Amino acid sequence: MPHAWLNSPILAQLNSGVIVVDDEYRIHYLNAFIERHASVQLSEVQGKSIFAVFADLPEAWLKRKLMSVLDLKTPAFSSWEQRQYIFKLPHLRPITSSSQYMAQNCSMLPLSSEQAEQPLICILIEDATDAFVYQQHLSKTLIELERANRQDGLTKVLNRRYWEEQLKQEIHRSQRYHHPLSLILFDLDKFKDLNDKYGHLGGDFVLVQLASFIGSLLRDSDLFGRYGGEEFGIILPDTSLDGAIEVAERICLAVAEYPMLFNQQTIRVSVSMGVAELIPKQHLLHDDLIRCADMALYNAKRAGRNRVCSYLAGETEYQKKVN
Amino acid sequence: MSTLGFSEEQRDCLQEIINVAMGLASDKLARFLNTFVHLQVPSIALVGASHIPAEFENRYQDTEAALVSQGFFGNEGVRGEAIVLYQMENAHKISALLGYEVGDVSEIEMLTDISSILTTTFLNGLADQIENSLSYSAPRVLSSVKGDMSALLKNTSFHWEHALKVDISYQLIDHSFNCDMILLIPGEAVTNIQRILDRILEDY
Repeated sequence: MPHAWLNSPILAQLNSGVIVVDDEYRIHYLNAFIERHASVQLSEVQGKSIFAVFADLPEAWLKRKLMSVLDLKTPAFSSWEQRQYIFKLPHLRPITSSSQYMAQNCSMLPLSSEQAEQPLICILIEDATDAFVYQQHLSKTLIELERANRQDGLTKVLNRRYWEEQLKQEIHRSQRYHHPLSLILFDLDKFKDLNDKYGHLGGDFVLVQLASFIGSLLRDSDLFGRYGGEEFGIILPDTSLDGAIEVAERICLAVAEYPMLFNQQTIRVSVSMGVAELIPKQHLLHDDLIRCADMALYNAKRAGRNRVCSYLAGETEYQKKVN
Repeated sequence: MSTLGFSEEQRDCLQEIINVAMGLASDKLARFLNTFVHLQVPSIALVGASHIPAEFENRYQDTEAALVSQGFFGNEGVRGEAIVLYQMENAHKISALLGYEVGDVSEIEMLTDISSILTTTFLNGLADQIENSLSYSAPRVLSSVKGDMSALLKNTSFHWEHALKVDISYQLIDHSFNCDMILLIPGEAVTNIQRILDRILEDY
């Protein structure tokens, strides 16, 4: 079985793996790259089935590939992008890569040689770990970038742009499937006083704490975003006006009873909330729904803050100031 | 097919070589797939590569299509890039024949396998006849989405002067399968091919 024509010094020095098998998948040759990475000796594995020597190979898949090489006398390929590795080999970049195994590009080539009695296949294994690592960094960065693009930097809830996009989509969905949809807009009461008393750091602290606390009271499907300054919005899919008022009342009460400790001082705050439900034929644009919730919020402020007001169908004017 | 400097004899000779190559490919495929493969005589055309995007824009505009590219290079300056274009519903049909099960492999892997087999069996048959032999780069899926086919073709064909269009239509026993193959080749490859064709013609 040993083939003198394969014992070239170049193959031994090559920084890629070379394995030669026959039509019964028996190993005829492997080069030093494979010997060293897989801790095998050619003399010990020659003549053995490649599937016995490399027990982790995807056998059915590789057989189909090798069969096509033999039958069609054409090369077959495998890229790390589809199959990270075929041979479980360690790589030489242990710190920078999250993967334990060498990412590989493999070519399976029909080998025609007059010296060989049987049809042979040459399997070329190229180390693609670098490309794999770069790709992983890139994917991770893109995910972070996407999150940063959605999030409000301070409070970590959705930012206004993304939140409004979601509102448009939810309105579209609600109109198509005839599901109810409600919106809560709320505002932190007397935020200016907080800033004056505790400084901007104190004001920011309250916004962060409040956003995180209210976020914990919501369902996973609710979409919570910062509309601007101390004003926030919550999109409630599949929720009618009554349900949304209930949610708003619960949040309003919980916030009033939620003390926050800042620089050894307890801060207590309250919120005013406006609730509106989507009226399919009336609210054609997301701005229409926001305007209705905003009108209700304004009324909640006028009525003395720390309370919930809902928008009534047909209401077009802000209430006159109470008292 | 347009002439592009090819004499009538050269043109006929090329068509004949391609017919035979396609026949060899379908024979190999039939044996590999264990099914009868009937192949229509492919119609070929040699055009300037810059005309390619517009020609295929309509056919692939409103359908989910895939575009797979594979480079090839042989002796005597024969080299180029083979592009296989097909509609995804056709790709799904042939993947079943190749023995793939749903979820077995990724769609991209399936696409590259199919394209590589089609391209290399055909081009090997072509190379054999002109006493050449070809090496191939690994196939790459350039796209498998709707609508951007013409932009991609534009970017791909930009680097090449000429394109040999080959309409491939495989009829498998229970299924019909159509795809387009485009061989993008540089100007000097055309000259080389002409020289090879002349040599073949002289032998007759």
